[in-house]
Amino acid sequence: MSGGTLNWRIDEREGARIAAPAGRVDESTATAFTERLIGEAGAARTMLVLDLSGIAYMSSRGLRALTLAQREATRSGSTIVLARPNETMREILAISRYDMIFKVADTIEDALAG
Amino acid sequence: MQVRFWGTRGSLPVAAKAATVRDKVATALVAADGRRFADEAEARVYLETELDFAAAHTYGGATSCVEIDVGEGAFIVCDMGSGLREFGLDSLGRCAGGHTREWHFFLSHLHWDHIMGFPFFVPAFVPGSKIVIHAGHADAETALRRQQEEISFPVPFDWLKADIEFRTLVPGQDYAIGAVTVSLIEQHHSHLSYGYRFRDAAAKVAVYSTDSEHKIDRMEGEADVVAFFGGADLVVCDTMYSLADSVSMKEDWGHSSNIVAVDLCHEAAAKRLALFHHEPTYSDADIERMHRESIRYEELTRGAAPLEVLCAYDGLVVEI
Ligand SMILES: [Zn+2]
Ligand SMILES: [Zn+2]
Repeated sequence: MSGGTLNWRIDEREGARIAAPAGRVDESTATAFTERLIGEAGAARTMLVLDLSGIAYMSSRGLRALTLAQREATRSGSTIVLARPNETMREILAISRYDMIFKVADTIEDALAG
Repeated sequence: MQVRFWGTRGSLPVAAKAATVRDKVATALVAADGRRFADEAEARVYLETELDFAAAHTYGGATSCVEIDVGEGAFIVCDMGSGLREFGLDSLGRCAGGHTREWHFFLSHLHWDHIMGFPFFVPAFVPGSKIVIHAGHADAETALRRQQEEISFPVPFDWLKADIEFRTLVPGQDYAIGAVTVSLIEQHHSHLSYGYRFRDAAAKVAVYSTDSEHKIDRMEGEADVVAFFGGADLVVCDTMYSLADSVSMKEDWGHSSNIVAVDLCHEAAAKRLALFHHEPTYSDADIERMHRESIRYEELTRGAAPLEVLCAYDGLVVEI
């Protein structure tokens, strides 16, 4: 169930790490997504902004990876903020109630503002 | 194959209160807007076709009990929740009509909400009944005897008149039991639980998978679950919590979410999913919302063939 990968663009801004993966997070890409995301969460010093604008949709595997990454972030003293979800992702975050356990920002600026 | 839901609630039986019924009647009257109905049958058609399910019905409150009817042989029943009482009486009626007086149970596990119906299972009190209780747990007999000890129940297990036999099943094997082939899978839950896969002579497949937590740090292991659900005509799944609850506050409580159930069924190319083991604090409107959201999530994440998402309620019959 592994093998697929997503393209990641990484930025640093105002002390925060901004990670922007692109593609679909489903069974074929979830393993690689999880490993990379946990790595990014560990690399962020105060905040990891996950720019979701390039993510078409995410199954529960991707959502659960967010939780694993948040645990890694918590261990290293940072936090994860989700930014710029498309309409589909916004719906999935609402249906899964992930919008209640993650901060979801409309823009990168809003995410950085905390 | 027919799958009949006698109990669909999780953890604890619940019942609609006076105010709940009053509010439903009020909603229906207002929605009718002065319309006249010739008789109750016509009013029923209106309720069935024009009102939301939760407005005109209830999902019910009996705990886990699901009958798999393959049209021949012994009765097949998954779990003995409080829904078992009504099934017991109904099945005796069918015995009066000529059905064989034999019941085969398959226990997911031994938590109280899954065995509490057995002391009220009338066929167990009737001489000539044959009852075979299958479980993945070797301590199933201990659990059933214990709940009928004097401190908990007035009628001891030994007073039951039926011929009762316990059989421990092992995951990974196919068992030919009566008219079905059955296999089981170990699931993550306190004191373990087991899912069952039933295949009838016409190769129709129903899977019963309740009280199963899919741990976020063991996602690779889900390939086994996907294989177990593979190509099923119906999968009955524990969808008690939202995904967020199942990975945060309610992690390790042993249950799963609608989201994960849809994903597993998609991967398994199952045809239908029945949402099951409903949270006891949920109102009918809450369960209906969860059902709608599950249908929407299925649409949003659908890869190939669509998965039909049903929401189990006490009294639902699914024809496979
Ligand atoms: Zn239960
Ligand atoms: Zn349980």
